[in-house]
Parts: sequence; structure tokens; C-alpha cells
Amino acid sequence: MNPSFKLILIILISFEISFTRSLTANCVLIAVCLIYLMIHKIKLKTLGIVLLIPVIPAVALSITIAFFTPAQDYHFALVLFSRMFAYVLLGTSFTLINSPIELARSLEQNLHLPSKFAYGSLAAFGVLPKMKSTILTLQKAALMRGITLSYWSPKLYFKALLIAMNWSDELAQAMLSHGYVEDTTRTYAATIPIKSTDWAYMIVPILIIQPLLFLLP
Amino acid sequence: MSSIDIQNLNFNYQPNSTTLSDVNVQFEIGQFYLLVGPSGSGKSTLLKILTGLLPEFGGEIANGTFSIPNQLKVGLVFQNPNHQFTLDTPRHELEFVLENLRVDPELMPAKINSALAFCEIESLIDRQLNTLSGGEKQKVALAIVIAMERDIILLDEPFASIDPQSRAELIAKLVTLRDQQQKTIIIADHDLLGYKQVVDHVYTIHNQTIQTLSREDGLQLLTDFEKQVPAITSTLPIANLEVAFNFDELQIQIQQHALLSQSSLQIPSGKVTLITGENGIGKSTLFLSMAKLMKFSGEIQMNQTNIQKIKAKKYAREVALIFQDSENQFLTVTMREEIELSKQHRKSDYFNDAMITSCLTQLNLNELLDQVVYTLSEGQKKKLQILLMLIVEPEVLLLDEPLKGLDIDSIHQIVTILNAYRAEHQQTIVMISHQFSGLNQFVDYHLNFANQKLTYVETVS
Amino acid sequence: MNLSNHYHVRDIIFITLIGIAFGAIFISTNFIYNFLTVVLTPVGLAPMANDINMGIWVMAGPLTGFILRKPGAGFLGEFLAAVGEMFFGGQWGASTLISGAIQGIASELGFTLTGYKVYNWFSLCLSCLTTTIVTFAWDMFKNGYAEFHFGMLILLFVVRFISIFFFGGILTKMIAALLDRSHMLAKFGGSNV
Repeated sequence: MNPSFKLILIILISFEISFTRSLTANCVLIAVCLIYLMIHKIKLKTLGIVLLIPVIPAVALSITIAFFTPAQDYHFALVLFSRMFAYVLLGTSFTLINSPIELARSLEQNLHLPSKFAYGSLAAFGVLPKMKSTILTLQKAALMRGITLSYWSPKLYFKALLIAMNWSDELAQAMLSHGYVEDTTRTYAATIPIKSTDWAYMIVPILIIQPLLFLLP
Repeated sequence: MSSIDIQNLNFNYQPNSTTLSDVNVQFEIGQFYLLVGPSGSGKSTLLKILTGLLPEFGGEIANGTFSIPNQLKVGLVFQNPNHQFTLDTPRHELEFVLENLRVDPELMPAKINSALAFCEIESLIDRQLNTLSGGEKQKVALAIVIAMERDIILLDEPFASIDPQSRAELIAKLVTLRDQQQKTIIIADHDLLGYKQVVDHVYTIHNQTIQTLSREDGLQLLTDFEKQVPAITSTLPIANLEVAFNFDELQIQIQQHALLSQSSLQIPSGKVTLITGENGIGKSTLFLSMAKLMKFSGEIQMNQTNIQKIKAKKYAREVALIFQDSENQFLTVTMREEIELSKQHRKSDYFNDAMITSCLTQLNLNELLDQVVYTLSEGQKKKLQILLMLIVEPEVLLLDEPLKGLDIDSIHQIVTILNAYRAEHQQTIVMISHQFSGLNQFVDYHLNFANQKLTYVETVS
Repeated sequence: MNLSNHYHVRDIIFITLIGIAFGAIFISTNFIYNFLTVVLTPVGLAPMANDINMGIWVMAGPLTGFILRKPGAGFLGEFLAAVGEMFFGGQWGASTLISGAIQGIASELGFTLTGYKVYNWFSLCLSCLTTTIVTFAWDMFKNGYAEFHFGMLILLFVVRFISIFFFGGILTKMIAALLDRSHMLAKFGGSNV
């Protein structure tokens, strides 16, 4: 399926379930996503980790809704509980299967997103692991002078901004020297087509989910 | 016209500070040039002007012109191999580059394969760039310049952090490009090893301008460099010295590349130990491990205690790493604020105000208290950085290339201050350095890092 | 006026890197969120963990808006961070993207209301206020806040505003002051127009 279409589908559905209260729809979505992920042979361990993420907030929120609100609405508590898992599974149905570069290419070619947004952010994501270790280095360097830089220390953010500035300058220069010029036409190594099936894959699920969302509890 | 022609070129980043002045030089097409000069001398600036990155990304050409022969295109390999790729794998990056040049998609696979084949890195095509070694990344960077069919290839200190073998392989590739495809090669470097047989011309950059050396003078410079012997004397550490660090079955690796495998080693307490070794061999990584900034297997003990068992905060106060990049150590804005910050956490009153003032004077920093630290020169930054870390009085100082790019006066100032402090506190100092001038009376022991091992060397002068 | 003309590729990389750097700093706060959630659940205040942490999660928006001073910076600061988080971070999935967009619009709104002309305490506080209001409205639906009784809503709203005001307001102002004194942004060039 075309990555842009798939992302739009997932966002639309996530958005809709945020405003509706159908437990059935949430459960169907969870089941469909699980089957979809299984078909794509996602490792059970990865899936397990993904499903652990929302456990604490989901449990906490549904307990609050069920026992500490005026209405004590058990059904809505379950809706919220299932909704969190639906969010996560909808998201991973994209992120575990489509790569950022596929999405970037599709957004550039199919939705005509200016290429500077697609490739600028990809260039930044490339240094993400190094950013993590650099933040740790900054904190350690401060510790060597007896100073703890915590997440509320302006100095830590100030240093992080200086690093972001330096790196963005270097990365942008590298892009330019690799022939990239903003707002000019480029050829495409891989053409990402929009097929009629892509339209079908996007519209049919949306049509199916509507009655579930609005008619079933 | 068959040369790059630079006339009366003046360049500055800030309106009242000149980086290049009156540069008059020619680079002939099809020749291999080496541009030599200390860090901060303007080598990068010149290469970036020729590539068109400057003044696009800051500064201005105050005067003068440069011209590049018709139709010839310029490509650049950057110093920092980590910040020159946009995408995640060599294949994607090469595709991105060819897309930018509006190459027909049908022609892309052949161009990509032949560029990778030329650099002998076909097997890396789908590897994540983040997991490649520095040398591999620079080979990918060269493959990109080749795929882009650049006629003039500029390389800005491309070997700064890569191992000697990759360096030799890359230089050999550049020679092939010159000999078989008449490419023009200009490398900026401060390490002159391995160029004697290959370069056509050596230019030096000094006092913001370029001197062209005659072929003979150039060769002489390279020969002298290769003959240079470390002018330091060191003995082997005698038995039953007090030990600061003990390595026990220590293994350090980055990604899959093993760097160090040391079954046992002792570093004496209260002494100065120098570590030497080729670029990219793992010296800085060893320091990161010793500072607990990097994972390792086996054990490092400090004063007989496994460092993993010492609390991070306590350990950081005992073992200070002086980072190669001075800016890593700064936390505020002005020099005065930095000093105040270090003063807050002094362990004793050795560094009282009078002492600090005297150190600042000795280091020629006393006039600069209100300057923004990031705008100091590299030498001033380094001197300040070392002083800041002395003020907090750690038991051990790990100095990573503290003398790189410093003039001889600054080196003497730093050594004097370290010596004075050490006489008082019997501090342990471990120092990585490629530079030995001014260190002769300072160093006690010398460890050489080669073949994943550290070995003590005895040097007699 | 085309918004995309205000941004060069370097600005986009810079803004994304800010999001990534802040994300790396926030990782250490995840356990605080989980701890607070667990502790507050038995007393029926579990959602408050969300509100207490909100300032940390949204601060990239007011900060980029305030230092870059261009239309769209507040939005991009928050949204590009969310894109990064979706692919590489917490796996909160598509809702990260939606929340990122909503938080981005929320902090942008404060600067829009002052016509991108005023960048002082007032516009920053306004951005903190719009961020509080809009994200709170979103949580009325997404996290079922609409079910809570009025007193609880007031409490959550006030806590959220304090959190956003601390991180997006006070801290942002302190960071911007350091940056300003260092003259680094001017040297970076062109961005701060």
C-alpha cells in the first residue's frame, strides 16, 4: 500500500476513535492490526514490548474513569483502555513495516511535500543515536565539575541548542555538497506509484469502520 | 585555462576578524596537492570557498576572486565522517545524490555499483551508515564524490579519526583517480605521513595566507616530518609503584570493531603517563571507558576498586576527562562565569582568587574574562578548559590531545601550570598526544597503543 | 505568503535536532511519569501525572517559536519532534503524530495572536496559555477528561498550566537569555530575522 495513503488512513482512524466511544470498534481495530502485523512476521518479542508500553497509563486511566468520576462509567473505562492499545498498534502497523525513507519519498512524490522537509528531517534523524550519547557526555562533563545537569537545568538545554546549531550547519553543508538544492526538481530513484488499489485500501476500511464506530457500543 | 586560480582572496567570518588574507595561488588541473597548516589556520575555509559552501553558510569574501576552469565540478569530503550523510545507508545516500543531480533512474544502479566498486566497498551498500567505522564512512564519502563525477576533489582533514590502513587505502585511490582520470586532488592535513611518494605539490598555510613550496622544499618538508623522532625520554615503570589504574581482561569495542584487548596493565599513581598511537586506534575510546562514558567488558580498577562499583557522581569528581573538543567542557557563557562555576566546587583553597588570577595571567587569559567562551581562539579555549578542570581538583586527569594545534608558548604555559599543581597534589595524569615538543621534562612513562594492546616503551635520548 | 519559504533546509534540520536533543533529555523523565501514575492512581488522580509532565513534552514548541521568531516555528518544533518520536522513540504510534500536531498548533497560536511581532514575556506567556487550553481541550476527548467533575478539571488545568509555564515559559526564557548573551544565534546567521 502507498505509504502516504497508509499514514493518512491510520491518522484518520486514530483521530476518529479519539472522539467516539465504541469498544467493539476498538477491539476490531486491535484484532485487525494484530493479524496484519502477524502476516508481516513481526517478532513476538517486538510485539510484546510494544504492547507493554501503554499498560501503566491505560490501567491508571481506566481505574480513574471507572471509580473516581461522577458517572463511574465502566464501559467508557474499557473504551479508553482499549483505545490506548489501538493507538499503539495502529502506529506500529506503520512504523514496524514502513521505513522513514519510504515515507519521505512517498510524501515528496505523491503529496508534493517540499523535499527540504522530508530530507532535512531525515538528515537530523540520522544523528539521533549520537545525540543521545552527546547529551550523556554533556551531563558527565558537568558532573566532573561537581554540577548535576538535570532536565530542568537551562544550561543543559543551552548546550543542547549549541550542538543542534553546529550539527545542523554541518549537515546542511553536506547536503549542499551532495548536490541538494532546495526547491528544484529532482529525479526519483524509486517511483512510488499511486495505484487504484491504494484508493481502495484507504477508502474501504474507512467505510467499514464508520458503522462500527457509530452503531456498536 | 587549466588551473584553479585564486587572486588576492580575503575572507572573514566576522566583519573585523580576517581568516584569509591576500591568498594568491594556483592549483593546476590533474595534480595532487597537499595543503599543510595547523588547525584553525583557514584550510577548511579555503576548501569551502572553492566548493561554494562559503560565503553561502556565513562570512564574506571581502576582496579578490577565484576561478575554476570551465565545466569542471568540485566535490568535497568533510572532516567529520559522522555529519556528511543525509540518509541511512550508502545505497540510499548515493540514490539521493544522483536524484539531486537529476540522473535518469535507469542509469543509477550502474553508477552506484561502479563508484562502490572503485572504492572496494560493494559489501557495505545496505549497511547502516551509523554502524560503519570512520574509515568505511570516508570511503563511502569518496564513492559519492566519484558517483557525482567531480573533476576536482577536495578533502578537508579526511583522515583525522580513521585508522592508518584505511588512510593508506584512501590515498592510493586518490592517486589512481589522478593518474587514470586526471582528477585534481587537494587534501588539507596536518599529519604529513604517507604523502611523500604521491603528492605533486605541497602548499603551507600560515598567518592567514598560502605559501607555495617548490617541489624540492615540499619533499624536504615531508621527509623531515617522517624522520621526526619523539623527543621524549621515558623509562619503564618499576615494580611496586603505587598503582592508580589496573586493567583486568579489559576489552573495548565500537560496533563490531575490537579496539583494545588487554589482559593486564597498571598505570602508576602520581605520575605522568603518555599514550601514543596511530589515529583511529582507540585512544580516545579508551579514555571514554576510563571515564565511564562508554561500555567495556572486563574490569578497570581505580585504587583497587572496580570503577563500576563507584557512584557516578563521586567517580566524576575523582577522574576528570579533558575532552579533545574544549567546548564540551563549557557550561555557561563568559570566561568569568565558567571560573565562578568551577570555584563553587573546589575541594580545597589551593585555587584561591590570587592563585586563579596568577594562573590566568600566566596563560595570557587575564584580559579576556568577559569574553564569550565560544568566541575564544582554539588555544585560548584549551588553556581555559584545563584551568577549569584543575580548579575542581580531581585526583586523576585524562588529557585527550591537549596540545593539538597549540603554539609552543601555550604548550609551555600549560606544562608549567600542570607541573606546579602536580608538585603540590601528586596528581595522576594520563595524556594522549601526537605532539612531543615541550613535553620532555614532563612525561614519566610512555605507553604505545598498537595492535589492540598497550605496551610500555623505554626511550633513551 | 508561502510558509515554506521561511525555512531553509538548515532551519528544518536545526528544528528537528532540537526535538531530538530534548527527547534525549526527557528520556530520564519517563520513570517519573510512570511513578507518578502508579502513586496517583489509588487516590483517583492518575491523569494528573499527564498534566504534571505536560510542560516537558511541549516545551520544544514555545522554545523554537521564541528563539527562531518566524511563523510556523512553534508548530514545526513540536511536530517534527513527534515525527521523530513516532519512528524512533516511544512507539506511542499515530497518536504521537496527532498529539504533536495539536501541541504544535497550540503553542504556535500564542505567537500568531501577537502577529509574530512581539517576542517578550507577554507573547511567551500567551503561547503557554494557548498550549494549556488547546491540549486540555484535546484531552477532554482523548483521555476522557470530560467525565471528571468540575473541581478535578480545574485542578488538572491549573497543574497543567503551571507545568507548561515552568518549562515553556520560565525555563525557555532562561535558555533564550543564555543563547542571547552567547551571540551564537546571530553567528548561526539568518535564522533570527
